[in-house]
Formats: sequence, C-alpha cells, structure tokens
Amino acid sequence: MIIQCKHLTKSYIADNKVFKAVDDVNLEIANGDFAVILGHSGSGKTTLLSLVGGLTRPDSGDVLILGKGNWSQGDKYLSTVRNKTIGFIFQFASLIPTLTAKENLLLPLYFGSDSRADREQAMVLLDEVGLADKANSFPAQLSGGQQRRIAIARAFMNNPDIILADEPTGDLDEETENDILQVFKTFNAKGMTFVVVTHNSNLAATQENARIMHMKNGKMTESA
Amino acid sequence: MQINPFQRQCNILDYALSSLWRRKLKNAGILVIFSLVIFLVASFQLLTRSLLGTADEILAFAPDITLQKLSAGRQVDMSEARLAHLAGIFGIAETMPRIWGYYFDETNGANYTVIGLAEEKIAAAGFPLTGQEETGFLKRGGVIMSPAVRDNMGLGERRAFSLFRPDLSQVSFRVAGVFSKETNLVSGDTILMCLEDARDLFALDDNAVTDIAIYVTNPLEIDNIARKIAEMMPDTRVLTRSQIRKTYQAVFGWRSGFGSICLLSALASFVILAWDKASGLSQEEKREIGILKFLGFETRDILALRFWESGLVSGLALVIGLTLAYIHVASGGALFQPILLGWSVLRPELFLTPALQFSDFLLLFSFSVLPYLAATIIPAWRSAIIRADTVI
Ligand SMILES: Nc1ncnc2c1ncn2[C@@H]1O[C@H](COP(=O)(O)OP(=O)(O)O)[C@@H](O)[C@H]1O
Ligand SMILES: [Mg+2]
Repeated sequence: MIIQCKHLTKSYIADNKVFKAVDDVNLEIANGDFAVILGHSGSGKTTLLSLVGGLTRPDSGDVLILGKGNWSQGDKYLSTVRNKTIGFIFQFASLIPTLTAKENLLLPLYFGSDSRADREQAMVLLDEVGLADKANSFPAQLSGGQQRRIAIARAFMNNPDIILADEPTGDLDEETENDILQVFKTFNAKGMTFVVVTHNSNLAATQENARIMHMKNGKMTESA
Repeated sequence: MQINPFQRQCNILDYALSSLWRRKLKNAGILVIFSLVIFLVASFQLLTRSLLGTADEILAFAPDITLQKLSAGRQVDMSEARLAHLAGIFGIAETMPRIWGYYFDETNGANYTVIGLAEEKIAAAGFPLTGQEETGFLKRGGVIMSPAVRDNMGLGERRAFSLFRPDLSQVSFRVAGVFSKETNLVSGDTILMCLEDARDLFALDDNAVTDIAIYVTNPLEIDNIARKIAEMMPDTRVLTRSQIRKTYQAVFGWRSGFGSICLLSALASFVILAWDKASGLSQEEKREIGILKFLGFETRDILALRFWESGLVSGLALVIGLTLAYIHVASGGALFQPILLGWSVLRPELFLTPALQFSDFLLLFSFSVLPYLAATIIPAWRSAIIRADTVI
C-alpha cells in the first residue's frame, strides 16, 4: 500500500462548535491506483487531501506513506516526502507571483537549482501542458487556467510517486481539461499513483480503471 | 537527489538574492533608512570615542598638578613669586610657571592657544620640530607653532609675522620652529613662546603668570602634595591631572550620553518600524511560505532564506553606515561637532582618528542587525512551523 489512512479525523471549531471536517476515514491506495474522490463542496475533500499530504496534522488517526507514518517523523522527513514522494496540485493556482513560469517549475529542485537536465525537464513538462511558449511569463501575465496548468506541470517536476490533486481541472475549458486528463493518464500508465478530488463526475468517467470514492459530511464510502 | 549542505545554502542564498531583487524598491528603501540611522549613531559613537581619546592624549602632556589663582571665584593671573613658597614642599620635582592664554586672530577668525614658558624650560622639553631654524634657547621674539597655525596664518616659508596687543599695537614675531606632525594632537592650535613675550603680547604685569605647572617625583604623592599646596595657598585652585580628566569625561560623557540617547531612540524607532513591517507578514509572503512548504522545503530552509534576506539587508546597512560614519568622523565629523565642542574654533586636525571599539560595534550590531533579523525570522518561523496548509 502506498497510502494508508487509519481512522483519520480532523475537526475545526466554528461558532464555538466542534465540526468534523474529516470523520474516521479509512483508506488504502495501492501503487498505481487512480483514485477519484467525489463529493459536494464542504464535504471535507480538501481537508482529507492535505491530511494525506502531511500538510495538516490529524486530530487522531494516522496517515502512512509507503508504510511510514507522516507525523511520527520529524520535519525533515515530512519535507522530503512532500518534496520527492508527493506532487501537489491545489484548488487555487499556487504559483509564486514574482517568479516566471519556468522558475516556478524549478522551485521544487531546491530553490531553483538549475542543471541543464532540470531545465530541459521543465520545458518538456511545460510543453505537455501546452505552455512552452509561456516559460518566461510571470503568473500575472497568464490566465487563471494557464496558471493552473503551470502548477500542474510543477507537480510532476520531481517525478513523484503520488499526485494529490484538488479539483485540478476546475477552471479549465473542456478541451484543456481533456489534455490534462490525458497527461494524468500517461503518467498513471507509467505507474504513478493519483488521488484526484473533484465534484465533476465526468472526470471519473474518462479514467477507465479509476477507483471512485464518495465523501459526505467527512465520511468516506467507496463504490464497488 | 541528495543535495549537499553547502550547495543547499548556496541555492538558498541565490534564491534570497533574487527574492530581494524582486522587491528591490522596498528593500532599497529599508537599506537607505537603515544605513542612515546607523550612520548617525555610529558617527556619534566614533566622534565621542575619538574626543575622549584626544582628551586623554592632551592629559598625558598635562602636568601632575596645575596651580591657578582664584579671585571672586574666577581664574586670574598671579605673581611668579609664589614659586618660592612651593620650593619648601618636599616631593616636588619641578615647577614651571606658565602663561596660558587664547589669542583671537581676527583676520583668520581663529583662536590660537598661546603658551608662554621660561626659555630654559622650552629648551629642556625638546619638542619634536620640523624645519628647526634656531637651536638651543627660544630667544625673545621667536615662537614655535603648530603646522595648522602656520597654514592658518598663510605663512608658508615666511618667518616674520605680527600679533596684536590688547591695545592693538603690533608685536613682531619670528617662526623659530614648527612642531612636527606627531605632536599635532596636543598642539593643533598652539603658539609657544617665552614668558616675557607672552606677557608683552597679553599686556600682563611683570612677573605675572596664569598658572604654575608642578611635577611630582612620586605619582602616588600627587594628591597629598596638592592638598598641602591648597592649605598653604587658600586663594588658589589646585588641579590634579585626574581631576581634569574627570571633568573632561563628565563634559564629553554628558553631552554624548544625551546625544546617544536621542540617536539610540531613533534607532529603536526604526527597529520598531522594521519590526512592524517585517513581522506583519503580508498575505503574499504567507502564501509564498505555504507554497515553499508544500513543495517540500523544510522549516529550517525557509528560516535560512529569511535569515539570508534580512541578514544581507541589515548587514549591508551596517557596513554602509559604519563606513560613511568613519569617513565622516575622519573628515571632521561636521554634523556633530557643534554639539560636542561648542568651545573649540580651531582644532582642524584634532579629530582625525576615529576609534571604533569592539564594544561600540557590538552595541550597534545588537541594536540594528539583531532586532532586524529577529523581526523577520520570528514571524517566518511561526508561520513556517504552524501552518503548512496556508495556501489551501
Ligand atoms: N481552516 C479551517 N478552519 C475552519 N474550518 C475549515 C477550515 N478548512 C475547512 N474548514 C471547513 O471544513 C469543511 C470541509 O472543508 P473542505 O475540506 O475544504 O471541503 P471541500 O474541499 O470538500 O469543499 C468545510 O465546512 C469548511 O468550512
Ligand atoms: Mg475543496
């Protein structure tokens, strides 16, 4: 199992009431899986993803990546997991506004260390998301959808074992969405594991081998 | 891909530099203000130091005991005849009657310190001179002056010049010698002549002197002997070297202390400003930290980044401020001289030696770089350590 969640619970306090955003979730994802998590807005999908990626600390339960508990190790270990094992794609394009598209891609390679191979890799990925010509543009010069695609390309930069994607195609037009899904498919075929959160059941339909899960009020169920 | 620690720091430094460059306007602003404040404080510090050092050097030449006559609480001249009384006190090695006065040169708008000593005392002192013309005794009409005075009078190689008595009648003098550069600190504005000439110039009575310098055989006896003299001559003021030093230090110390407080508070308010600016991490900066975190940067990398950024800015400001301050003080400390030295008119080369002590550096460092580093790193640390999920 590349990802294991055991009795994962995370609550927030809102209006003096404890609110369980993720409620006792158990989840096992095997190497090479393409997992799609469906659910309405507010059902806890983003919270679950950030728990899996080690960005948020659970109140109880544990997340194991490649058999190792996220929070039982130190910051160094967790950082290495985030850097090498996981590629994140967030709901909002998370680019650093003062860096160009290409510099944003190079960022995961330790503050933009740029060997020749790295730069080539960055260009290949930019090409895959159809933005090779925007390599030297700043985020502000790009549309929301383009920024999103840059962020997607960056997630693949370190050749991670797992991609955690939160509504990755949310504000893309249909054609671009299909291109991105094609990219996902290609990497998945090479053995990369995907956990993709969406409220768009369309996405689930296009990935034949996808495991479909549902999130509702912090609880998870999986379709057979 | 394992990256070695050195390469890692280099990459972080590289990123820090480009990050500073990306916000160049803001950072340049901070740099300028920061440098300016450090410049002011450091100038003041350096100037005070060099003045205190100068005072010490002056005092090194001062006699063990200085005897002055007081009348109505003010210093007046006295008769040389008092020397005879002193002869009876055991432990006095030498007495030196002096005329010590200030001559205002109207043409050049400068004050000179005129010192009159007995001819044989001048010869015995053996001041280091350049271009010495007359050897042996300083005869009537001959003076030894500092190069600054010579330049001020525009004498060049000419030797003859005149000064004026109080009734504006002329007295002719001859440059018999010029103090060599090494003695500049103590003789920056000095004209040395024999007692008789000094009396003539200032129109003093025969046998009048302004004070008597007394040298003591055993330094431990200075206070003792001073007390005896004071008892013997109740109408005099008996100053020991250590008393003069205390006075100097009190005056310099008070003035500079007051100035330091003003300047330190300027520095403090800058730091508070910087703190306010830096610690209120903007939304953009928080986002950036969040992004770096999910991309796998360790908390310590982010701290190192911040450390480099603010260290570069404040370190550079410290260097710029100190360098400018050094140049400023070395070239006369024009900005602060009025506060520190109301009384000196001609002391052009007196403040040429800015002395930076390690403790001053430490003080400046701990009032500037340290709080600035803290102001930028602590909030980064807080946000780096708590919230990895700030961006989502
Ligand atoms: N940092 C937070 N503080 C308080 N409540 C939060 C926080 N993050 C999420 N929530 C709440 O937790 C619930 C789940 O949110 P989220 O995981 O973002 O759902 P989804 O991604 O499925 O829309 C929502 O009701 C949301 O308001
Ligand atoms: Mg969400």
